[in-house]
Amino acid sequence: MTRLLNVIIVLLIWPMSASAQLLAVADDSGTPVWNEMRGEKLIALKAKGDPLRGEISFEPCQGCHRAGAVGRTSGSYPRLAGQHATVLIKQMTDIRAGRRNNPKMDPFIGDHAISAMEIADIAAYISALPIPDANGKGPGTSLARGKELYVKDCVTCHGDKGEGKSEKFYPMVAAQHYRYLLREVQFIRDGDRRNSNPDMVKVIKSYTDTDMEAVADYMSQLAPPKQ
Amino acid sequence: MKNADRDYSQKGRPGRGVFWFAAALAVAAAFATPANAEDAKTLATTVCVACHGDDGNSAIPMFPKIAGLQETYIIKQLKEFISGQRKSDVMAPIVANLKPEDLAPLATHFSSQKPKAGDARDAALVETGKNFYLDGNEDTGVPACVGCHQPQAVGHTVYPRLAGQHPEYLVQQLKNFASGDRSNDVSRYMRVIAKRMTEQEMKAVAEYIASLGAK
Repeated sequence: MTRLLNVIIVLLIWPMSASAQLLAVADDSGTPVWNEMRGEKLIALKAKGDPLRGEISFEPCQGCHRAGAVGRTSGSYPRLAGQHATVLIKQMTDIRAGRRNNPKMDPFIGDHAISAMEIADIAAYISALPIPDANGKGPGTSLARGKELYVKDCVTCHGDKGEGKSEKFYPMVAAQHYRYLLREVQFIRDGDRRNSNPDMVKVIKSYTDTDMEAVADYMSQLAPPKQ
Repeated sequence: MKNADRDYSQKGRPGRGVFWFAAALAVAAAFATPANAEDAKTLATTVCVACHGDDGNSAIPMFPKIAGLQETYIIKQLKEFISGQRKSDVMAPIVANLKPEDLAPLATHFSSQKPKAGDARDAALVETGKNFYLDGNEDTGVPACVGCHQPQAVGHTVYPRLAGQHPEYLVQQLKNFASGDRSNDVSRYMRVIAKRMTEQEMKAVAEYIASLGAK
């Protein structure tokens, strides 16, 4: 009798969970979701991250992002050192929720690997790391054009020194690796980075490839902001 | 310049957690029954010796060197051989005869043995492997081994020491992780990583690891 009851319950719940999955998929591939304040993102943001625990939790991340979270000058992996904790938490929780595609990173950031608390810890650790000067810089060939675009379109959010704005989740872009900046700007323009700020997507919609190279070049040459 | 970002020296304070952990272990060890250490030595020199050597420095390429491995790592592996979570036709019948109280002293015994240098033979392959160990593969998303296993492959917390290990054994384990035959890795990391590696990368990195360790 109990078994029969179980079967009935499963049959009742099945379509519900299936439709919930469908909803999640639709949510993941549809319009950009900038920054909804809910779920584990909220938990991690409210938690008091511990940099000492974060240092241990960050060890597997070092394989790609390097010791000290300096990233790779090739731009294959971004520099994270000194990035705002809010930005780090947003991106980590977005990636593992499927709101930002990152197949290379997915298996290392899933909830089988780290908890929301560890995300807060890692963010606390990384955000306090020193930002070294030696980043992957652009060719430096179109800095005037880059500056013109940056001042016109980017400075309001990302700041005149590229320092970003923690409380608004706007990342620090100064001294980031050039190739990484270029790739992400392109993803954002083309709608491939689905957790982008819709205002930014609008602003850079009309950018040509040359515009993107110029503005990424300019950002990569900005000195690390004072910490 | 390409590898300027490889610097692990700036990481600083790598051992603080380990220090406290070691201190806790030392306290725990002080309370352990002294008789266990003798039992462990007997087991090591009568049972384990056949494959792993009496000092844990196996001379047989297919059997791992276990000298100097972290105690916690040895205990974890023994427990998982017993539970079947790590499958091994060789180890299963042997660990079946172990008593639960044998595990910690056995781990202490082998952990405190001095690991011998490895037996790398191919210098060019060592160089390729070193690059892979320090950089991984950016194109296929293989993280650098150094992130967890540390410079010189000395290991850290839950990540085992690898320095000086037999290359044949290392390649076999990587293949086992890739196929899923071995599935007792932390957070599935090694299964993902090994799956992204080519056989050539496995051989190269194993050769490099074999070149490490005290000479």
